[in-house]
Amino acid sequence: MELQAVLMAAGGGSRMMELTYNTHKPLLPVGNKPLIWYPLNLLERVGFEEVIIITTKDVQKMLTPDRLKLDGKMKLDVVCIQLEGEMGTADALRHVQQKIKTDVLVLSCDLITDVALHEVVDLFRAHNASMAMLMSKLHEFTETVPGQKGKKKAGEQRDFVGVDATGQRLLFMANEADLEDGLTIRKSIMCKHPSMRIRTGLLDAHLYCLKRCVVDFLVENKNISSIRGELIPYLVRKQFSKSVNLPNNKDEVEMSQKMEGQTNLEILGSCKDEELLRLTQERSCWNDHHGDMSEAYHGGKVRCYVHIMEDGVCYRVNTLAAYIEANRMAPKLIEDPPIHPSAVISECTQVGADSIIGASCQISDKTSIKRSTVGASSTVREKVKITNSILMNGVTVEEGCNIQGSVICSNAVIGRNADIKYCLVGSSQRIEPDARHLDSNLSINDSALGSLKMSRDWPA
Amino acid sequence: LARAAVDQDEEEQPLQAVLVADSFNRRFFPVTKDQPRALLPLANVAMIDYTLEFLTSTGVQETFVFCCWMSDKIKDHLAKSKWCRSNSSNTVHFITSDTYRSLGDVLRDVDAKALLRSDFILVYGDVVSSIDVTQALQEHRLRRKLEKNISVMTMIFKESSPGHRARCEEDNIVVAVDSKSKRILHYQKTQGLKKLQFPMNIFHSTSDEFEIRHDLLDCHISICSPQVAELFTDNFDYQTRNDFVRGILVNEEILGNQIHLHVAKDGYGARVSNLFMYDAVSSDMIRRWIYPITPESNFVDEEGKSCTHSRHNVYRGTGVSLGHGSQMEENVLIGQDTSIGAKGHISNSVIGANCIIGDNVILDRAYIWNNVHIADNVAIRQSVVCDGVEVKTGVILKEQCVLAFNVRAVVGPDVTLPEGTVVSLHHPDEEEEEQDEFLSDHAEAGHNKATKKDKANNSKELGTEGQGYIWKSSSLDHTKEDELAQSLWGLVLNPDPESDSESEASEGSDQPGSRTISPELDDIKVFQTEVQGTLQRGLEENIGCDNLVLEINSLKYAYNITLKEVMQILTRVVLEYPFFQEGADLSTSQYNTLLLPLLKGWAPVFKNYVKRAQDHLNCLASIEEFFLEHEAHWGALVKVLMSAYNLDILEEDGIMRWFSQEGTTDKSKLLRKNQGLLKFIQWLEEAEEYSEGD
Repeated sequence: MELQAVLMAAGGGSRMMELTYNTHKPLLPVGNKPLIWYPLNLLERVGFEEVIIITTKDVQKMLTPDRLKLDGKMKLDVVCIQLEGEMGTADALRHVQQKIKTDVLVLSCDLITDVALHEVVDLFRAHNASMAMLMSKLHEFTETVPGQKGKKKAGEQRDFVGVDATGQRLLFMANEADLEDGLTIRKSIMCKHPSMRIRTGLLDAHLYCLKRCVVDFLVENKNISSIRGELIPYLVRKQFSKSVNLPNNKDEVEMSQKMEGQTNLEILGSCKDEELLRLTQERSCWNDHHGDMSEAYHGGKVRCYVHIMEDGVCYRVNTLAAYIEANRMAPKLIEDPPIHPSAVISECTQVGADSIIGASCQISDKTSIKRSTVGASSTVREKVKITNSILMNGVTVEEGCNIQGSVICSNAVIGRNADIKYCLVGSSQRIEPDARHLDSNLSINDSALGSLKMSRDWPA
Repeated sequence: LARAAVDQDEEEQPLQAVLVADSFNRRFFPVTKDQPRALLPLANVAMIDYTLEFLTSTGVQETFVFCCWMSDKIKDHLAKSKWCRSNSSNTVHFITSDTYRSLGDVLRDVDAKALLRSDFILVYGDVVSSIDVTQALQEHRLRRKLEKNISVMTMIFKESSPGHRARCEEDNIVVAVDSKSKRILHYQKTQGLKKLQFPMNIFHSTSDEFEIRHDLLDCHISICSPQVAELFTDNFDYQTRNDFVRGILVNEEILGNQIHLHVAKDGYGARVSNLFMYDAVSSDMIRRWIYPITPESNFVDEEGKSCTHSRHNVYRGTGVSLGHGSQMEENVLIGQDTSIGAKGHISNSVIGANCIIGDNVILDRAYIWNNVHIADNVAIRQSVVCDGVEVKTGVILKEQCVLAFNVRAVVGPDVTLPEGTVVSLHHPDEEEEEQDEFLSDHAEAGHNKATKKDKANNSKELGTEGQGYIWKSSSLDHTKEDELAQSLWGLVLNPDPESDSESEASEGSDQPGSRTISPELDDIKVFQTEVQGTLQRGLEENIGCDNLVLEINSLKYAYNITLKEVMQILTRVVLEYPFFQEGADLSTSQYNTLLLPLLKGWAPVFKNYVKRAQDHLNCLASIEEFFLEHEAHWGALVKVLMSAYNLDILEEDGIMRWFSQEGTTDKSKLLRKNQGLLKFIQWLEEAEEYSEGD
């Protein structure tokens, strides 16, 4: 076993409370499969036999193999954590440290991608990296988001990612918000990597390969609570830290520990270079760079790499817009037949090839369904038109409805002849017959949503 | 149809170039006192010939040569050259004026005379290049066609890693470029910088990929639009190309002009901007990196410049005689009719025409120009010996020496010139006496009597038969900042900034010793009282800091004070100011309350003088010196350092380095154990840890 997979599935989905106040984020249906199925499937495809899932008690109850519909025999090791207190991803990883024996692959439950995972792992292996991560070109969301039509999104602050000339070594990482005084780079870094590409418009997929010693470091440094927010920037920075010289013997290690205090243990100290590896590097003429005569990696012990997907699918389902987009892309990612065999569909019904119909659905006559997803056990009556919409499980649509560009959450009932365009209908909501709604949020009222947000704020 | 005709017209315009045959700086002084830089021989060919060869081979049909200093010499040289023959494909025009003071003046004149009709190439007369700019030119024209009058300049760069031999620390740059459009967003020299700062507004949101490049060598070849000349006219404060580039980049949003870059994949391009580059380009030439321009190709088509090329890059002109047992190891070029004695050992060197070299001579990285006599048993390493110099027996020239032009310059016998010695027949003070000797030829008149006067003084250094003046005993002497800037050999390359900081620290440690030795104590005292007076007046009359700096600068010149001394004195005066105001018996807290507002008010003055890492150390050393003298007020030291740090006068790096220097005396060791200071240092350490993250 070379890598252990750790799936972070305890996030509350605080950026899309409209959807998650009733359904836990890992279980949100995307293409009629729970969201968590996608990262699990990704791992299964590349041959992982075991995965540690960190999640909450509520989610654990729902995580039955039957629900997950995984084909293989991947062993799921579900670890529950309490939601109380602010617990970040790094805290969660620390929580399962006893189970971690090798290097780890950490990923988030909201990742939907068709990445060839070996690209990231190969980078990690080839350079004996401390950390390798996945990024992708940011996709522009084209679909209209319910309840947000016409609203211009406030200019989000860009992430600046600096990579070397090969586009793989991660040299720099910062958010625009932290760069008010301008972007500063030490000259010594520029001398080592004289051609740096600064890229914006990248999506961090929150998929990381971490060396075992990094996990050890986390165990030592309890003040780091988030992987993305604290650990990764720290690692990127530490690549060019001044104190590259590894302490030679134990005494010095202890000395340096004392000097810096227990809480701020040098990560370098925990990366003990294997003797053989050092010898190989010494005797080999291979080098990772050209242009100067210094040794490979300039003698640096901490190395961070990034694989950037230039094309292909990569979404993080953490906003409503991303959720809708992911649903649109889902049919292309799933090999299952789009219409579940147990669904009952009348003959005089049009169901587009780009639509998915879930198990035990009942679709009546003279209905047309285009570019939409209909969840399991839903009922659609006669003369209904559904386009560009997502219906979760157990939704009932009465006769003559017209639903366009909307998201209907579980167990909602849409009354007869209702006309719903670009709306979000909350779970178990009832829409009155003949109602007309355009571009609005028809879930529980906003103040309730707000308080929910407060109580379930959870760094994803 | 009419438009097509116009386009065609543009196509048919002959390609023009502006060649500036003057550097407008003194980097080759005093060598350039007798010969303009463009005519200095590099591998036995005048530098301007390389520039013209580059222009001609890249398709330039009309070149305007702008001369200022010694324009007649340049004119004579070119009149005899192949460029002025009737069959030359490149027509050379001369424009000379004594009033040019900068590149800006030249281009303003270009605009006034309306010489240029289309895009042109702008080069200096000391550029050696084999780059084919055709592609860059096409790109430039295409850009101008797509967006009229937006792109005004395309700068040509050559890829070259940091630490490459042909990269001079002094000319190192960092460039930020938009990956797709190749538009230059930021252009900055990196000399002396530890951190590179890029303003956020250059990362405009219309693009999502930028490149920051430190692996580029500025070839100083630019393809310019005709507007460049107009822009120089509009902005009379633009002096150099650097001013222009920065002006355009900063005002991009207002003026809408852009500068693009072209990175040449093939070819060679470099500007001989100082002797360091002279050394690098010469050795590249002999090692054939500038192919097809090679020493034996004799592209200038002059008689006597031809030579043969044999193994190990040994080139011999006609009529070269080599004594018995002499070895030419590798990379040696010997000009016509030069004779070399027996048992010599020559490597990596260029020897000009008609030289006579004695027996047992060792030359390594030596650049011997024409008509030089070198007697027996001479050793020359990495030095330049100009025309007509006579080197007597037993003379040893260490690295980076320069024996400047003059037929009668004699060195020796039996002396050793230390590293970085510059010898010229001209007296160094002539430079001071004559403000404009660049422009005047009267320099000859005064110096005969000067020679007599000071000959005896130099006999020790230059030997009993020596003639000439030593300009500088050592370029490694960093005490005089002004001279450092003029050092002929550029700064020694420090490939590794880490080691850089170490060397600086070690230099810093021997500062306290050298500081006390200052010959003109009186001047310094007077200067000190003047500075004090200036600051007092500034306080009373509420004079702005800019003006204070101006006044201090003029005092600096009046009393011939070095920058380092200015800083020491300024620090001392400010620290003593409270005593000056209120008398010597202040308590530490009174002292603090008086001093800190002063420090705040004068922070801009400090910042003007404290810029480089060395300045920080000097400033700290002065602060230390002051407090060593005022033991009672050690409590104030931390407050001073703290506010200097908060006011950005001092940086944490400097403070840390100063602190880590062992005190030389017991007292200064004691000072470093001051509790408050230790606390402050600890705080700084933590702050640094934290800020490293940003």
